[in-house]
Amino acid sequence: MSRKLSLEIDPRVEELSAITAAVEQFGDAEKWPPDMVFQINLVIEELGLNIMTHGKSEDLEKIEITLTAEGESLTIEIVDNGHPFDPTREAPEPDLDVGLRERAIGGLGIHIVRNLVDNLRYRRQGGRNHVTLVKERVR
Amino acid sequence: MEVHAEREGKILITRAEGRVDGTNAREFEEALHAAIGEDDRLLIMDLQNLSYISSAGLRAFLMIAKKLQGRGGKLVVCSLTDTINEVFEISGFSRIIPTHASRSEAVAKHGG
Repeated sequence: MSRKLSLEIDPRVEELSAITAAVEQFGDAEKWPPDMVFQINLVIEELGLNIMTHGKSEDLEKIEITLTAEGESLTIEIVDNGHPFDPTREAPEPDLDVGLRERAIGGLGIHIVRNLVDNLRYRRQGGRNHVTLVKERVR
Repeated sequence: MEVHAEREGKILITRAEGRVDGTNAREFEEALHAAIGEDDRLLIMDLQNLSYISSAGLRAFLMIAKKLQGRGGKLVVCSLTDTINEVFEISGFSRIIPTHASRSEAVAKHGG
């Protein structure tokens, strides 16, 4: 049996606090370790902020976030009607080999997401971005 | 989120507490800029009680590290929790910002 958490937020940074609280509550009920709560909040924040900044268009109204827990897996789906953006392909990998002086500011969000989830998929459907992430339970 | 600053000799030590995310990263960075005096060269940030950080917060660390490097100083971090440490590793920050297990280790290594 799967358990779901569905959230819908306005594309404003302040709305992140509501997500954090809801994810913590869901994680408590699912008995996630604290690290897992941290990581799930982190990937949602990074993708959410990315939509709010880079995907921003006049049409962007809502961001829908659905968490589905089933067995040892958690699936997160994030849907928005902003500009098309495929996080599996479009964000360039940051250059982590340069020194502090040359190190670019920014560009880490999607890189962090890619490194924290087990599977990341994207599709554009009906004029909306659908990003699906799968995270296996942290032990 | 709270930032507490103290001094140990010539070393500026700050303790960051709570969450640093997209909602307050700017405020966090401003608090650090305000804590750094003109003569400060070494800042040790004790992250023991930092419970969460996202890329918005990492940006603040990078800005402060660059600022200190620009005047011949440096930013050092210590006492990272496992998850914060993982985020630092993924972001490649561990390669550009010296990281230590404890405050005393950081002071011993960089304070002289």
